[in-house]
Amino acid sequence: MISIASLFTAAILLITARIVTGTTDPALARHRASWGATIALAVAVIFLVLDVLSGHPTSRVLGFDIGVLPYGLLAPTNLVTCALGLLTVSMSPLATHPPATLGRILVLLAIAVAFIATQSAAALALLWGLSGWVAWRELRSKTETHATARLFARFQVPSTVLMLAGGVLFAVDAPLPAVIVCLLSIAIREATIPVHGWFPTFVQRAPLGLVVAFIAPQLGVYAHVLLLSGIVPVGLAHGVAILGAVTAVLAAGLGVVQSDARRALAFLVMSQTGLVAFGLENASIVARSGALVTWQVLALATSGFAMTMAALEARRGTLSLRAASGSFERTPRMAVAFLFLGFASVGLPLTLGFVAEDLLVQGSSAEFPLMGFALIIATAFNGMTVMRCFFALFSGTRKHQGERDLTRRESWALTVVMALLLVAGAVPNRLLRLQGDNPIEQRAPD
Amino acid sequence: MTPVWIQFAMTLIVGLPALAVVLLALPSWFGVRFRENTIVVVLGAAFTGALLATLTVFVALLCGDAQAIETNLGAWFNVGHYEFEWRFVGDRLSLPFAGFSAMLIGLVGAFSRRYLHREEGFLRFFLMLAIFGTGVELVVLAGSIDLVFFGWELVGLTSALLIGFYHDRPKPVEHGLRAFVTYRLCDIGLLGAAVWLHHTVGHSALVADDPWLGFAAPPGVRDATLVGLLLLWASMGKSAQAPLGGWLPRAMEGPTNSSAIFYGAISIHLGPYLLLRSAPILESAPLVAYAVIAIGAATAIHATFVGNAQTDIKCALAYASMTQVGLIFVEIGLGFRYLALAHIIGHATLRSLQVLRSPSLLHDHQHLEQAMGGTLPRTGRHIERLVPKPLQPWLYRMALERGYFDTLLVDGVAGGFRRLVLGVDRADRRVSAWITGEDPAAHEPGEREGRDPDRRTGSSGEEGER
Repeated sequence: MISIASLFTAAILLITARIVTGTTDPALARHRASWGATIALAVAVIFLVLDVLSGHPTSRVLGFDIGVLPYGLLAPTNLVTCALGLLTVSMSPLATHPPATLGRILVLLAIAVAFIATQSAAALALLWGLSGWVAWRELRSKTETHATARLFARFQVPSTVLMLAGGVLFAVDAPLPAVIVCLLSIAIREATIPVHGWFPTFVQRAPLGLVVAFIAPQLGVYAHVLLLSGIVPVGLAHGVAILGAVTAVLAAGLGVVQSDARRALAFLVMSQTGLVAFGLENASIVARSGALVTWQVLALATSGFAMTMAALEARRGTLSLRAASGSFERTPRMAVAFLFLGFASVGLPLTLGFVAEDLLVQGSSAEFPLMGFALIIATAFNGMTVMRCFFALFSGTRKHQGERDLTRRESWALTVVMALLLVAGAVPNRLLRLQGDNPIEQRAPD
Repeated sequence: MTPVWIQFAMTLIVGLPALAVVLLALPSWFGVRFRENTIVVVLGAAFTGALLATLTVFVALLCGDAQAIETNLGAWFNVGHYEFEWRFVGDRLSLPFAGFSAMLIGLVGAFSRRYLHREEGFLRFFLMLAIFGTGVELVVLAGSIDLVFFGWELVGLTSALLIGFYHDRPKPVEHGLRAFVTYRLCDIGLLGAAVWLHHTVGHSALVADDPWLGFAAPPGVRDATLVGLLLLWASMGKSAQAPLGGWLPRAMEGPTNSSAIFYGAISIHLGPYLLLRSAPILESAPLVAYAVIAIGAATAIHATFVGNAQTDIKCALAYASMTQVGLIFVEIGLGFRYLALAHIIGHATLRSLQVLRSPSLLHDHQHLEQAMGGTLPRTGRHIERLVPKPLQPWLYRMALERGYFDTLLVDGVAGGFRRLVLGVDRADRRVSAWITGEDPAAHEPGEREGRDPDRRTGSSGEEGER
């Protein structure tokens, strides 16, 4: 099925990208990017409301199924990706995000939205490769990130090749090899241990806006849901779930001991993608729903956490966690947003993060009771990482370092994201119902 | 069937503190500046209302013949067989606890009006107090472990943030982090117990028991023991029981009023509260009951000796709290539930008063000596008489070093974990360096700063932050 809403919002984002790239003044470029993202978000909201009110109409045109939004779990994804887009472009610091970078961020977001619009394996494989290429171009465009671009390419090229091969194998009706190569491709993109080598360095060195636009939409999760649901054999599914749990725990442990804020962020994200991978391959509908909500929490809360970090970094320079060196009183709104979003991403009560964590952990008990404890340990460590980052970055000194608090644009973007997390957290059943009674099909027999 | 107005009153016990949080937090985010009086009135009204609502429900409970009054606001979310319910239970355990919590938080709020007058973090303190109060009432009235966990998390978060209240000094922040790390590690026990109860019993809700409701015990002794030990682990962290209690004296770095309400009165007693609710599990798994007694007794002895060697009043009071909570653990392990509840309420009330008075210690001491007409006698002589002379220097050293628990936990356990994980991290960086063909030093911590000139732009503020 092709989603009109997703195509429409993708078009808005692409047009905005074109305008932004052609703007020479960085401040004006970001202003235009923010407006474009706001319009895309408004359109996404309107489409979602129309789709819900009209009972999800579909029609068949030229042999294609056309709908307003994709049905089931993907219904809110368009909205979430557009909110993520607004957050990313509005919070991107000018010094590290010139117009060209902002343009590429918008293109990455448009690709993510277009990814949702289609269900064709070939189109997905092409978009998969295209998003990697756009991110690589950005890394190549700066001398200081050449080595990172090399590292990035050495992981993303195989990932793209594997995804294309998966598409071909699906086309020739060889499902098992297709599943295996697709899983490998997704594992690389989602930075699952042990094929995560590119990710910490990428987060440390690339502009954070680009990192968020490349990672947060979680194309791997979408590809997994769309291409692999119901056809992964039980044995393989267990293997993937265990690998996800191992990634969640190990990355959480690695995050706690980091002395660099960006590297800690990288492991926090890895841990959460591990949780998603674990949940997606669980037989329990509770855990699978938890995984999908975690996906949306990652796109909103963790991205907000990352972009607040980017805003602080623009004011202060490289952020070290070795000693507390900030002042809460000087930047209270930024500190509150940082803390709220950080904890929302690891399960702050009454936010969507709590719902995600609870569903994931409770759902795991039937099939993987011991793995459930691993997930609990991972979330405990992730909480420590967030608190450590907060204390190190927003306390420890009374000195005024000339940092200013959030600007109006930053406040607006963060308010939207925090409101979404709170509203969705207050009435999660609405979201869970949107995702359908059976968010992902049962797995295939072994 | 419980009348609607009683159910409404029960909802208000949690709802009013939560409303105070919303009233203080939401306008503040949008730039509204409150007067100090307004903040105090909002908090005071919320907790006075919560206290009155508690009294109303308690009177209704005493007048009726039901064991408990229940309010179910429906499911927060539900997927498949799993449902998270807003179910509150008022019985002879939860209502006294909810009432004295609301009263003490309200009183500490009134005390803080002058104590924190013109302090930079005035609003922050009251907001944290309101969130804490909401968390406590949720824990106390929760009808399931899932809901307990919800409130438990709020209590832990606010506790750590208030320890680091004076955030411009490094030590309070460090100690806040330490308390938070201990909480998070022990929260694993609470969430783990919830998962295991769902796995074995099918739910984690309170069920009828004598004299008050309790969590259902899993059918087998092995599962009951596992759940019981997990709950004990969760309680040990929150109640600073040995050997995890090192964070408690450090937590006294926070404002005195928050120390009084958290570590003198309410937060520290949430561990025993959880164990009182877990009585059916303790009865099914004798090993857990023995462990509760052992931990409590060990903590009481440890804290008594260490507390006597402390040289500042807040640390001495912290260890005194640990001692009493240790004794409450022993009472719970032995099955003296009403005694434990009375001990909790009595200790919380007295200790919070002592902590609140602690900044006036010298003044009070002087007044006492004037009233006595001479120097006050030295305390702790009974210990000198009990302990043989040759052992005293060794014991004094042990007490000064706090039983070496900190060294063991921080350097041994946490340090060992850190070294291990950093070793893995180093290997990870080397692999990345090998793939890119870079010098491995480029991937070591601290090297990045010299290699990414663009990342330091804007440090003066203007360019980057726009």
